[in-house]
Amino acid sequence: MLSMYFNIHGGSQQQEAVAAESEPEPLSIFRTQENDPACQSEKHFGQYYTLPSAHVRTVFPHGLPMRYKQQVKTFNEACMMVRPPALEVISSLKKTDNSKPAVRYLFYGLKGSGKTMTLCHTIHFCYTQGWLVLHVPDAHLWVKNCKELLPSSFNSSRYDQPLQATEWLRNFRITNEPFLSKIKTKQRYVWTKRESTEEGSTLGELVDQGITRVKTSSDVVGAVMKELRLQSGQPESDFRLAVAVDGVNALWGRSTIRKMNNTAVDPEELTLVYNLRKLMKNDWTGGAIITTLAQTGAVYTSKYSYLPKELLGEKGFDSMDPFIPVSVPNYSEKEFESCYLYYMDRHWLQYPHSRTEDGKKELIFLSNRNPSMLERICGFH
Amino acid sequence: MVCPSLFSIVTVGENMAAHTSRAFLSLGRINVPGLGLHKSVSRVTYSTGLSTDSSKATTGSPQKGGKKVLSKKYKREPGDPRTELMPVDQDWTAVYPVATPFIPDAIPLPVRMGCPVKGGAPPEKKGNLELIKIPNFLHLTPAAIKKHCEALKPFCTEWPSALDTDAKCDEHFPIKVETKSYVSAGPSIRNPAARIVHLSVKLSSLNLNDQARKKMLKLVGDRYCKDTDILTITADRCPLKQQNYDYAMYLLTVLYHESWKIEAWEAEKTVADMEEYSWEGSLSQENILDVLVRMKEAGEGEGEEVREQLLGRREVQEYKDSVTRLKNEGENESTMLQYKEAVKKVLKL
Repeated sequence: MLSMYFNIHGGSQQQEAVAAESEPEPLSIFRTQENDPACQSEKHFGQYYTLPSAHVRTVFPHGLPMRYKQQVKTFNEACMMVRPPALEVISSLKKTDNSKPAVRYLFYGLKGSGKTMTLCHTIHFCYTQGWLVLHVPDAHLWVKNCKELLPSSFNSSRYDQPLQATEWLRNFRITNEPFLSKIKTKQRYVWTKRESTEEGSTLGELVDQGITRVKTSSDVVGAVMKELRLQSGQPESDFRLAVAVDGVNALWGRSTIRKMNNTAVDPEELTLVYNLRKLMKNDWTGGAIITTLAQTGAVYTSKYSYLPKELLGEKGFDSMDPFIPVSVPNYSEKEFESCYLYYMDRHWLQYPHSRTEDGKKELIFLSNRNPSMLERICGFH
Repeated sequence: MVCPSLFSIVTVGENMAAHTSRAFLSLGRINVPGLGLHKSVSRVTYSTGLSTDSSKATTGSPQKGGKKVLSKKYKREPGDPRTELMPVDQDWTAVYPVATPFIPDAIPLPVRMGCPVKGGAPPEKKGNLELIKIPNFLHLTPAAIKKHCEALKPFCTEWPSALDTDAKCDEHFPIKVETKSYVSAGPSIRNPAARIVHLSVKLSSLNLNDQARKKMLKLVGDRYCKDTDILTITADRCPLKQQNYDYAMYLLTVLYHESWKIEAWEAEKTVADMEEYSWEGSLSQENILDVLVRMKEAGEGEGEEVREQLLGRREVQEYKDSVTRLKNEGENESTMLQYKEAVKKVLKL
């Protein structure tokens, strides 16, 4: 049994010190030992599997939701629930044909129903299978709160966002370390009169160029995307590309960034968004595009909208069409039971009242089995 | 200030001067300067207006009591109010045949009207001006109306026997005109609200083809109800009902003829103007054909034939249906599910 010490100063976010290393745990109904997403199946529905911490550091430097990151720090383990929407997409991904154009998947659902977590689950699968993961954690960050907006050197009608681009390149480098030395560029890129990246240089050099020379980082991002798009699915390249975008409705929405003359910037005029939109089209082969809708960080959208057409808009829907919409609902009864037992096991539910049947009914009533609501409420119970 | 003792002097004086018909009594007050008012000494002075020698020749002494004996006029005792004598099953139309003010003794109802006394009831009907001031409709009871109808019946004609169902009425008389007339008890019989005319007609009864129907809907806007397929034209801009009716009929005629006309600029109708989504020629069609060609589903072929062949496939038709349904009906779980299944089939997943 794991023994844990924790200091009670009321409330959430406490550090736990694991006193003894875990011996093989007794079989618990809410956990599964199957930590490889490729081997998970329907019988693991509702059960939590543990992500190895090495994976968490590499695959998700920037992808996990904020509250989940805090939970990982508190519980000292990263456990994710196996749910039907994720497994559906994973089984489709297993059957993808490298020669066919990339299929687009879109997770949609109510606020807090687990779309980002499902996306992370699928990304974990892609990583374990050795795919190259191009993960944009929140496309909304690229269309709002831009501190520095430069006119693009490549195309004067577009705008660069160096800060966002460098940050993304850094995280991309952490995730895809092994591929950086394997993939070679097929084209020569000239950045300034004196700097250029020759044909045949590795992707790693390209990425470093972007991180060191901050001014050109947005164009580097565009170059990286172009290279990967052209090369994936080709007979000579041995990697498969998984493009994962959270909050894809930001690409076709409105932005809050304003130009110097106080007119709003269309997302199309941003280099990052323009290049990402090109990736979203299914004119390349050998991979998959997995996306999520997000209202949480969206600007100029109603709080209650969650359906694809209302968040994507006409233009977005027509660009994404044909895609496979996958609904991510609130917890089912079984999943709720599993989550409840997990929190009990982690001693997250501290009051004795929550151990009773009445307490459980209260939790169901207050949260309506919505995952994020349940997580917040359990912090107070 | 009058000392109380003075009153006694006064009364004695009156008795003494009782034989006089009139006695004037005046009280004088002598102000002694420097003494203050409250120390004033009052002196009573008498003055008689008429001669003290009164003649007893006039009427008997009033002392004897009894006034003059007046000739007794005959005063009729008021009898029972008519309400007591009314039988319960009387003919009310005979009591109130025409519009008459409120007569409390003719109406056998314990009506009260007015502001209630504190802790009490409003004033009763007897002598109640409030009840008389207001108009009443006691001459228009159901019994009276029945009599009116009976009187009017000889002047009416039969309802046509062929029009026995609503459907037949709609078929032969598709245009329905609705007007309101107002009656009020007042000096004037006019009411400006009586000029409003509502004309309603079902569009299915008008001879319109597809283009004409769409144009009509655009011209008419809010006046059309999609659920019942009824166009309602309300006319109230003229002062008379008959004028408004003529105007409404004119509007209907003009709408009908205008919607059949095709202008040159109507050819520039864009996708944004379309009332409902049509899949042919849309971006969605381009996308799916593009995808299928790249997936090499149709085998090797050239442009047009490949497209035709692809369009004829069952999965593509299902996909087309699902997209059209999604765009026209809006999103909900069932449309989304249908779309998902269709996409899976088309992309062969």
